[in-house]
Amino acid sequence: MKRLITTRRLSQTFFFLLFIYILWSTTYPLTGILKPDILFKLDPLVMFITSISERLVLPGIIFSFCMIAASVILGRFFCGWACPLGSTIDLVGAVRRKRRELTDNANAVLRKAKFFILGILFIFALFGKQVAWIFDPIVIMGRFVSLNLIPAMTSAINSFFIFLIRYLNLGEPARDIYRLLRPTVLGVKTYYFTHAAAIFLFFLAVCAAALIVSRFWCRALCPLGAVYALSAKISPFRRTVDKCTKCGKCKSRCRMGAIKDDIGYVPGECILCMDCIYDCPANVTSFRFVLPWKVKTKATNKKSGAGPKISRKNFLFLLLGLVPLLGAKSGEKNAGRYVAVVRPPAALEEEDFTNRCIRCGNCMKVCPTNALHPVMFQSGPEGVWTPQLVPEIGYCEYYCTLCGRTCPTGAIPALDEGQKLKVKLGLAEVDRSICLPWAEGKECIVCQEHCPVSEKAIKLDTYSGGPAKPYVDEHLCVGCGICQNKCPVRPLRAIRVSPKNADRTKVR
Amino acid sequence: MKDIHSSFTALLNRPVSRKAFLKILLSSFAFLSLSGYFSKPAQAAPEETSSGRPKKSIKAIHDLVVAEGDDPYLTTVRAVEAMGGMERFVKKNDIVLVKPNIGWDRAPEQAGNTNPEVVAALIDLSLKAGAKRVNVFDVTCNDARRCYATSGIEKSARKHGAQVYFPEEWDTVKAHFAHPSHLEGWPVLKDALGCDVFINVPILKHHRLTELTLSMKNLMGVCAGNRGIMHQNIGDNLADLAGFFNPELTVIDAYRVLLRNGPTGGNLADVEKLNKIIVSTDPLLADIYACGLVNVEPSQVPYLKVATERKAGISSIGEADILTIKA
Repeated sequence: MKRLITTRRLSQTFFFLLFIYILWSTTYPLTGILKPDILFKLDPLVMFITSISERLVLPGIIFSFCMIAASVILGRFFCGWACPLGSTIDLVGAVRRKRRELTDNANAVLRKAKFFILGILFIFALFGKQVAWIFDPIVIMGRFVSLNLIPAMTSAINSFFIFLIRYLNLGEPARDIYRLLRPTVLGVKTYYFTHAAAIFLFFLAVCAAALIVSRFWCRALCPLGAVYALSAKISPFRRTVDKCTKCGKCKSRCRMGAIKDDIGYVPGECILCMDCIYDCPANVTSFRFVLPWKVKTKATNKKSGAGPKISRKNFLFLLLGLVPLLGAKSGEKNAGRYVAVVRPPAALEEEDFTNRCIRCGNCMKVCPTNALHPVMFQSGPEGVWTPQLVPEIGYCEYYCTLCGRTCPTGAIPALDEGQKLKVKLGLAEVDRSICLPWAEGKECIVCQEHCPVSEKAIKLDTYSGGPAKPYVDEHLCVGCGICQNKCPVRPLRAIRVSPKNADRTKVR
Repeated sequence: MKDIHSSFTALLNRPVSRKAFLKILLSSFAFLSLSGYFSKPAQAAPEETSSGRPKKSIKAIHDLVVAEGDDPYLTTVRAVEAMGGMERFVKKNDIVLVKPNIGWDRAPEQAGNTNPEVVAALIDLSLKAGAKRVNVFDVTCNDARRCYATSGIEKSARKHGAQVYFPEEWDTVKAHFAHPSHLEGWPVLKDALGCDVFINVPILKHHRLTELTLSMKNLMGVCAGNRGIMHQNIGDNLADLAGFFNPELTVIDAYRVLLRNGPTGGNLADVEKLNKIIVSTDPLLADIYACGLVNVEPSQVPYLKVATERKAGISSIGEADILTIKA
């Protein structure tokens, strides 16, 4: 039996399910065995690039060093055995039975592309811009799971139960099962995210590329793969072939295009999927530890380029990728061009925030009121998919500190409860032209009722006659948005929060 | 151009097998649901209508009992016993709803929610009287999980054997009133109507719009929908709700009382300990008595004014049979 392949598939399934479990349990009261930020602290790409662009050493970067060390010894085991995006891509690729065999040259071009991407990310980071979030596989997968997969699954299970109970009249026992499932597995709220479609389409494109060329994303584009490819180069864990019959079967079956025409292979490209051991009809392929000095003597044909070579042409290509840097502007310069958005509590100052935020979606997943949503272009090209507060859908819960506690990079600082109560997200303002007491003389003051500040940041004008009319005390308002959320006026709410007066954390 | 046309017609004329059709259907469904197309909260409008719970008018030994004591659990038990015991209200195999105020993400000391000990006492008494099942829930204002946890009610009610759960927005019926009402057709929780015994357990506290939140205000917690709208004509609306649900027993928690900055509070300086529990079969009488504890004129409370005008119950403390005990 293909024992190694079965083991690999079990490992992939395990890490895939673990990944989903960790994000599934990223919800109030956050009692999961593993905290969600660990997923991203294990990711050297976002940790290194964010550290470089922010000129600091992120806490938890030690975990990603461990991953590098492990891949120096074992090679790109992460890509083949653990990466949840890689597993998904394998699954999509399995739809296509016959793998397309590319020429050595085509494979070399493909595998080079990811090093360019890594190089561009690195140079952007040197200039103080973190754009690793676009290409990082863990981030892409995490965002998909948190913002697409889990909402769709819970919504489907919810609808199923509602259908059973409402239309089939299953009565109390079914209701009780449902009531048990809601707080434990499904979540009390069914989440909905704005712009979820854009996030899903991006994920879909990454996965669907595997239908054209197997593991296209992993072999051609993934910059995390490039990081591991660099460290895997010196790995002593090698594929060895004794007495090869040159049938070429392993080459045509290799999902990463790591095997060359002469049956030599590129260690940095091999993800240890173990296919070639079983594809080999002569049964002479194996993986074993080879002492480093012996590797040197057995080194395969160097001409075909095992890694990136920076020729003049390649260097010019690299420069081409840096053109977007010209247009990059700081948050302040962007003011006026884009609408400012309400950020999560105590988020770093705008420029540092968009830099530090890796768009993993943890804060949006964990927010108990579904208040945080990905921005599209409202806050400029730098702000794509960063979180913003959307008070129409949810509000910032006064005593809650979960978003900061799940943020892997500290873009939203972890606050304690005492600090959180004082943090201003913005300022609410009453729109007197549509507010019921002001405009129509009706009694209402729902905003004042819900205001969580104990002295009430919403004060009442009772002197001018008629029902009490609300107005906001600028010094007390924390901008949590519950007033806007609960305001009964539609379609536009009569009290709205803007980012004015927001407390943003200074990094430097 | 012709090429495109012919290949397009070829595509259209190609037979699609049942299997292929199902595949296309399923994958487009998966595509849409993963894109978040279906995940907007389903606000299914209720289809059934209900004209509320009938008034049972169970006769107790007294119209109202007010008990004073340091231990909220014991005080509640004594007060109910002085009314003639829970057996008068709860019969064997009854389904009982104990409806506390769990509206806010506030701890018991902050007096924003009903005291968990009072809830626990009522659960114990109901189960001892033979109740088949005791339900505890509230439609909260803050995040439901946080409210249930911080208030201490979830933990204490579960410990004492009640079913604590989050009510469903879709599991509602349309309210129908015999008289013209602003709340005609309002979605109300099915579970609040289906119970045999409704025990309303509000906490006495300040509220800017209505002066005080009392038993009638607590009934907003079994209504779904955009409840902020109820604040217009709040007096009529809450009096309507009281006549719609007709709780058999009203237990007002005046153990810790939030005197200012209600209904949320938060500052312990606004809380005063009165150590009192009010039990009555008449919601209006209970509310009016509670007003006296914090020196509020009942006529200033809009819903009490309306309920008094409608003669919904005993509105004069002088006419009522009131027992005061120390626990």
